[in-house]
Amino acid sequence: MTIRWSRLAPQLALSPSVAVTVFVFLGGICWTIYLSFTASRRFPDYTLVGFRQYVRLFKDAAWIVSLENAVIFAIGSLASIAFGFILAALIDKEARGEAVFRTVFLYPLAISLIVTGLIWRWLFNPDLGVENVFHSIGWNWVHFNWLADPSTVMYGIILASVWQSTGFFMALMLSGLKSINVEIWRAAKLDGVPFWRLYLEVVIPMMKLTFLTCLILLCIGVVKAYDIIVAMTNAGPGDASYLPGYFVINAYWQKSNLGYAAAGATIMLLMTFALFFPLALFAAVRRRTEA
Amino acid sequence: MSQPSAALDRVAVAPRARPRRRALRPSRIAAFAFLCVAALLFCVPLYVVVVTSFKSMDEIRLGRTFDLPHVWTLDAWTSAWGQACSGLSCGGVSVGFVNSMWILIPSLVLSIAFAMVTGYAASLWRVKWANGFLFALFICSFVPFQIIMYPLIRATAVLSVYGTTFGVALIHVVLSMPILTLIFRNYFMSIPQELIAAAMIDSGSFWRIFFEIVLPMSGNILIVALILMVTGVWNDFLVGLTFGAQGAQPMTVILNNIALTTTGGNNYATDMAAALMTAAPPLIIYLLLGKFFVQGVTAGAIKG
Repeated sequence: MTIRWSRLAPQLALSPSVAVTVFVFLGGICWTIYLSFTASRRFPDYTLVGFRQYVRLFKDAAWIVSLENAVIFAIGSLASIAFGFILAALIDKEARGEAVFRTVFLYPLAISLIVTGLIWRWLFNPDLGVENVFHSIGWNWVHFNWLADPSTVMYGIILASVWQSTGFFMALMLSGLKSINVEIWRAAKLDGVPFWRLYLEVVIPMMKLTFLTCLILLCIGVVKAYDIIVAMTNAGPGDASYLPGYFVINAYWQKSNLGYAAAGATIMLLMTFALFFPLALFAAVRRRTEA
Repeated sequence: MSQPSAALDRVAVAPRARPRRRALRPSRIAAFAFLCVAALLFCVPLYVVVVTSFKSMDEIRLGRTFDLPHVWTLDAWTSAWGQACSGLSCGGVSVGFVNSMWILIPSLVLSIAFAMVTGYAASLWRVKWANGFLFALFICSFVPFQIIMYPLIRATAVLSVYGTTFGVALIHVVLSMPILTLIFRNYFMSIPQELIAAAMIDSGSFWRIFFEIVLPMSGNILIVALILMVTGVWNDFLVGLTFGAQGAQPMTVILNNIALTTTGGNNYATDMAAALMTAAPPLIIYLLLGKFFVQGVTAGAIKG
C-alpha cells in the first residue's frame, strides 16, 4: 500500500506542471501555428488559406527590415560578448576590487529595459544630451543624435543593449574562467608564454562551450527583443528599427491582424529552435562524454 | 598569487623569474586602469539620470548635462510619484508601484511553490517519464512569448482574469515555471541520494520528506529563485502591457506612458525621477544580495 502511494504522490504533484506544459505551451504553440494558416484578421477565422500569410509576410518591407535589423543587432551585440570576456579576464587576474568591478558592470542588468531605453534616449537627445555637451566645447563634428537617423538608429540601440548585457556575459565568462585548471596559468608562466597567446591559443579554445552558450543566448535575445525598441524608438524613425519580436506584437495590436501576427510568431519560433538546436546538441554530447 | 607553494619555490630558484615579475607590473597597472575607465563609463548613464532628476526644467534647458544641479530640487520626484500624467490619468508612478506589488506578491508565492514541488518530484522521486518531461521544460523555457500570446489572452479571458493584477501574476507563474523548475531540480540533484533513500524507508511520505528534509535544506536556492523572480517580474514590460489592460498596468508600463506623454510640456526631470523609482527596487536587491543575483541570472540563462 505504501509503495503504491509513494509512486502516486510524485506523479500527482507533477500533474499541474505537465498540464501547463501540454495545454499552455504545446497547445498554445499548435493553436498559433494553426492560426497562421488561416484567414484570421481581428478575430480568429478558421478558413484555411495555406501559406498566404507567409507569402504576404515576406513581401512586407517592414518584416524584411526587421530580419535585417536582427542580423545587424546580433552582429553589433557581439561586442558585449567580446567586451564581457575582456572584463572577465582582467577581473579574474586582478585580485584587487573584484567585487566592486563586478557590481558596477552588472548593475545595468538589474534595471528594466524600459528604464535603460529611457536613459539612453536621454543621452542621445540632441539638444540636452551628450551631443550638446560636445558641441558646447566646440567639438561640432561629434554626431550623437543616432536615434533620429534611420541609418544609425540600430547602432544607438546596440550601444544601449551592449551597456545592458555586457555584465551578463562577463558573469558567464567569469564562471567559465574559474573552472579552468589553475595549473595552466602556472605552466604558462614557467614557459614564458605571453599572456595574449595563452588566451588566444589555450584559454579561448578551452572555453568554446561558454562562448557558444553566450552566442546562442545573445541570438535568442535578439529574436525576442521588444522592450528596448519600445522604450527607445518605437520602431522608428519610419520603419528603420523594426525587430521580429516588435513586428509580431505590432501586427496583432496595431494592425489587428491575428493570422499575420501568428505567421510572424511561427517564424520567430523556427528561428529560436534553429538557434537552440546546436546548444541542446552540445549539452547532450557533453553529458555523454562526461558520464 | 604569492602563496608559498612548492611550484613557486621552484620558480624562485630560476634567476629569470624575478625580472619577469617586475616587467609584469606596467601591464597590471594598465589592466587596472582599463577596468577603472570601463567602470566609470558604465556609471555615466546612471550619474546623468540621477543628476538630471534633481534639476529644475530651466536648468535642464541650459544643456549642461554632466554638471551637478546648482539648485537641488525634489519637485521632479514628488511629481513623478504622484502627479505625472500617463495618457489621460495623472497619478504618477505610484499607481504602477501599487499594481506591480499586487502582481509581484502572488506571482512570487505561486511560482516558487509550484516550481519547487515540481522540481522536487521530478528529481528525487523516480518517476519514469521525469527526464523526458524535464527536456520538454528545457525547450519550453526558450519558447518566445509571441507564439503563445494569443492563446494566453484567450485563456485569461475565459478565466475572467484578463486585465487584473492577478491575471498578470498568473501569466508570470506559467511563463517562469519551466526555468524555475529546472533551477530547483538541478539543486535537488545535489542532495545526497542516501539521505533521501533513508527518509523514504523511514516515512515514505512525499510531503513529509518535502517539508521536513528538502525544504529546510533549500535556503540558498530559494533566495536565488526569489531574486530571479523579483527582478524578472518587476522589470517585465510585455506581459504587463499585454494582460494588464487599463487598470492593472505595472510600473514599467506606466513609466513608458509617462515618458511618451508630452501634453503640457515634457518635464525631463520628472521622467528621470520616475525611471529611477521604477529601477530602484531591483537595484536595491541587487546591491544587497549581489552574489545570489549573479547565481540567479546565470542559472536562469543556462541549465538543463
